[in-house]
Amino acid sequence: MNLAVESVAKSFPGVLALDGVSVDLKAGEIHALMGENGAGKSTLIKIITGVFRPDSGNVLLDGRPVAFNSPRDALAAGIAVVHQERNLIPRFSVGENILLERLPTKNGLVDYTAVGQQARRYLDLLDRNIDPRSEVRSLSVAQMQIVEIAKALSLEAKILVLDEPTASITGHESAAFFKLLRQLCGEGVAIAFVSHKLEEVFAIADRVTVLRDGKNVATGVPIAQMTRQKLVSLMIGREERVAQIGERIVDTTAVPLETRKLCTSLGHKGIDLALHRGEILGLYGLVGAGRSELAHAILGAGKITAGDLLIRGQSVRVRDMHDALTRFRLGYVSEDRKQEGLILMHSVSKNIAITIWDRLGGALGLISQRREARAVAPLVGRLEVRTPSLGQPVRNLSGGNQQKVSIAKWLAAEAEILIIDEPTVGIDIKTKTHLHELIGEIAREGVSVLLISSDMAEMITLADRILVMRDFRIIGEVANDHIYEAVSKAIMNRIHTVDQVEPVGPSIGSAVR
Amino acid sequence: MKVFRRLLLIEWSGLVAAIFIGASALAFIAPNFLTTFNLYVMLRSLCVGLLVAFAQMITLGVGQMNVAVGAIGGLAAVVLGGAMEVFGIPIALAVPLAVTIGAVGGLINGVLTVRTGINAFIITLATGSAFTGINFGITGAIPFYEMPPALTAFGSGHFGPFPYLIVAPLIVAALLGVFFARTAAGRRLLAYGGNPNAAELSGISSEWVVVSAHCLSGLLAAGAAVLAVAQLGSAQPTIGSDWLLLSFAAPIIGGAALTGGYVSVLGTMFAVLLIGLIENGMVLAKVDPYWVQFSLGVLILAAVGLNRWRAINSGTD
Repeated sequence: MNLAVESVAKSFPGVLALDGVSVDLKAGEIHALMGENGAGKSTLIKIITGVFRPDSGNVLLDGRPVAFNSPRDALAAGIAVVHQERNLIPRFSVGENILLERLPTKNGLVDYTAVGQQARRYLDLLDRNIDPRSEVRSLSVAQMQIVEIAKALSLEAKILVLDEPTASITGHESAAFFKLLRQLCGEGVAIAFVSHKLEEVFAIADRVTVLRDGKNVATGVPIAQMTRQKLVSLMIGREERVAQIGERIVDTTAVPLETRKLCTSLGHKGIDLALHRGEILGLYGLVGAGRSELAHAILGAGKITAGDLLIRGQSVRVRDMHDALTRFRLGYVSEDRKQEGLILMHSVSKNIAITIWDRLGGALGLISQRREARAVAPLVGRLEVRTPSLGQPVRNLSGGNQQKVSIAKWLAAEAEILIIDEPTVGIDIKTKTHLHELIGEIAREGVSVLLISSDMAEMITLADRILVMRDFRIIGEVANDHIYEAVSKAIMNRIHTVDQVEPVGPSIGSAVR
Repeated sequence: MKVFRRLLLIEWSGLVAAIFIGASALAFIAPNFLTTFNLYVMLRSLCVGLLVAFAQMITLGVGQMNVAVGAIGGLAAVVLGGAMEVFGIPIALAVPLAVTIGAVGGLINGVLTVRTGINAFIITLATGSAFTGINFGITGAIPFYEMPPALTAFGSGHFGPFPYLIVAPLIVAALLGVFFARTAAGRRLLAYGGNPNAAELSGISSEWVVVSAHCLSGLLAAGAAVLAVAQLGSAQPTIGSDWLLLSFAAPIIGGAALTGGYVSVLGTMFAVLLIGLIENGMVLAKVDPYWVQFSLGVLILAAVGLNRWRAINSGTD
């Protein structure tokens, strides 16, 4: 079966996720789908699998247009998928998860012996050490991923979509998995494959489609005509205008935030970093590299199991966000501004003043709107928050202005160290530039910024130094001279050269069917 | 110590221990506790509660709530009473009619939840009020007293300490146990409760799951009402008005996850038994009945605390 996506567009409030994207999956072929974080790959997959409906454009199965209303429809049409996020039922057994919507029954009752046997068939193709009877919640992350793959295989679909299927499994398991994919291809299955591991793509894919900012930059190009460097430059592209971040003086004698051989319960190993006063220190890595988790651990949301966290030279433990702010003047701009950063139904002034309510209280500890407005107005002016009034609910502002509000609240609290996580996700280019200039200005005034971003251009525009993270470790530091071409290549090479696809293992189970 | 910790990790181990200790203490303190008559009275008082607890357990299983259990029960009770007293419909038809009314009430809850996308708590809060309104509007809050002797005889009959009534919840418990553990439909309900997103991506219809859970919940609430009418010997419009607390307390004490995806039929039964034991003990000890309410609150906190401790200890937090 062949599947073609023809100039599909999909927009979400404030973002055009896909803008006329096309891709064609052919029977017996592995088609790599590449692009940076946020390029639109996951949205495209969700359209192919019926989770989203396209605003315009067509999805064709063997030339006939189809309109999926739900994942059920796509499944029924023979399309199976391994999603990027985990989709298992924790309290159910491995076998039940694999056969979830078509459990074998005998006399109207679920036949658990058959569940075990059928699940076993697909599990054995990947890993013989997982017991189909064990509960999913007792498995490791890697084992859960194997279960997800086994689940997709068990559907015996004609179109198999894999969104970063190997993100958390080991080389040996990947090797078995790739051999299996080849076998499936030989049997006429069409496979779409998303991976950030370039070596994998070159080892396994027949053709490649590259997306950038929701558009095709390469469509179905045979992998033989592609080189590594060419693929990388297609993926990262170039920014139109670079923000004007003036010169800043970094005081390298003062180190407000430092970690020494930090290990955490979230999985970080031996993290060494030093943030200087007035510096913007970048933390770059792919999704899942452990960057936000590091921020959470520093802020007390994860346990520090070994090593030291130093704030202004003192070895400390931060209990929670309240502690971070009141004791250490440490603020955090969350990557998820809608869920974590802001209270959308509350006004601009309430959202900013939330960090300083204790201070704003009058004689009886009562907070008047006037006091609040007086404290907040200068910040709103300085950050140029576009709002009709201070009483406007934040949800009525644009994404960029919302982000300014979430930064303003930490400035109101006079934070000296600011961890900023993905500041410009879903924000248009123009406002992005403005936010970049704003972050530069904050740093110039002496605030030390730890910047987490998956946006390469943003990183190179803003950061003084860039630490590259992978698998919860820091794997290198890149000095940033703000020359996009050179620095982006240096970073990409850091991330990708570590990949090694192991040689195919000696024994793999029999064929799938 | 290790064995003790292991035991504590089984959901209802604490419950069984509490029941055992409580019953032993009662047998020791109150000489009339172990009499056939007292045991019969206690067991009879559990029957309605068991079905009420199961009715709520099903909605909890899919991660939702049905605060209309009592209202559906009340409506089913007056439908049963009215059908028999006013229209002279025989028991064999009136009971299925009442149970069907309950299922239809649940169906309305389910369909409204699915179609509007409004939280089931709000939907059932509203429909519950509406059902109660219909109930009192029809009856004018006056009970039906002329119940067929066969029904009241079933409601008060017993074999030794075991009331005939208890047959119904035991059958339902067995069916539910099989339903959730062994049928595809039951597994689908729990799969949806455990991770709605994953269930939908696997092709399970969320609409089907939610509607059938509410429908079953309404059906069991009506079943509880039938037992209540048989037990009381009259169809009181106020039947169901005091069910809400128990309906949540028992499944939760029994180990159900409030977020959905896990229920325990056995645990829920032990929880109802424990609550019944406490009530009975307090009556025997002549304690003010208001303290029963207090101890139920403490019990819920203790049970939820134990579940939390278990989650942290087994690393599934």
